[in-house]
Amino acid sequence: MDKIEIEPTKSSPFVRFDPDDGVMEIGGESYPENSHEFFAPLMAWIAEFLDSKPGSAVLRVTLTYMNTSSTKYMIDILDRLEAAHGAGTPVRVEWYCDADNERTMGTVEELQEDFAMPFDVIPQEF
Amino acid sequence: MMAEFDLYSLRNTFEEQGVMICFNGPFSHSVIEELGEAVRRYLKSADAPKSRVTDVFSVFVEQAQNLKNYTAREDSLGPNGTLVIAREHDRYLVSSGNLVEREDAERLRSRLDDIAELDRDGLKQLYKKRLREPVEEGAGAGIGFVTMARKSPEPLKYSLRDMPDGTCFFTVSVVV
Repeated sequence: MDKIEIEPTKSSPFVRFDPDDGVMEIGGESYPENSHEFFAPLMAWIAEFLDSKPGSAVLRVTLTYMNTSSTKYMIDILDRLEAAHGAGTPVRVEWYCDADNERTMGTVEELQEDFAMPFDVIPQEF
Repeated sequence: MMAEFDLYSLRNTFEEQGVMICFNGPFSHSVIEELGEAVRRYLKSADAPKSRVTDVFSVFVEQAQNLKNYTAREDSLGPNGTLVIAREHDRYLVSSGNLVEREDAERLRSRLDDIAELDRDGLKQLYKKRLREPVEEGAGAGIGFVTMARKSPEPLKYSLRDMPDGTCFFTVSVVV
């Protein structure tokens, strides 16, 4: 499998997915013009990666903003990871949030409620 | 010949109503990005707390992307719409207006009326439900309104006005 490396724009996040160490990083702003076009290749990559029964999978999120359609896709990603976790793949989610912004912390904590896999919301200075 | 434009009275109207930012014209993605940056810069310079900046920015993005994606009869430069962000004391009002097809107008009315009946907890339940509905290409306005309602201490206000060409002029206003 190839790596995915996408540079950020004003409205779309940077992405670094590496099949060798199983780390999937996504960060920055996320309100792309067409969220389907942006996220569909990422979803396909994740499906293939998880099907390969990797030794571990880590999702590292440092998004500063996501619009509602990006949020839907992030939930899709989390659902896939949760399923892999249920099937025995060691999965971890590390979601970094601005410690001074109660709104973004709250949004992510609300997502966290729905998952049983290891899912840390980590306050950080942005 | 075009009449001379009365910028002075337009400016007074904006100042009386606390308008910070107003855009009227075709909404392209790059317009949304540029206005978004301006919104954030303006709010930071007004010392708004970070969570307030996030809320206003978020309501702005949802409205602007709705304008871009759901406006009827777009011209060659893109969908035309009007978006205004105004400030009154420590509250911000984000409003937008655009033409929509009449059948879409009825859908908007029933969605917004449903949302208006919900309390905080009901809005959270509906938000979570919509987040898990299958992602359809280009369809997201339903959850956008729920997101806006959750960020506002007051119910969303909207209006629909029939236009002679068979479309409706739709407005929505959100206090943040």
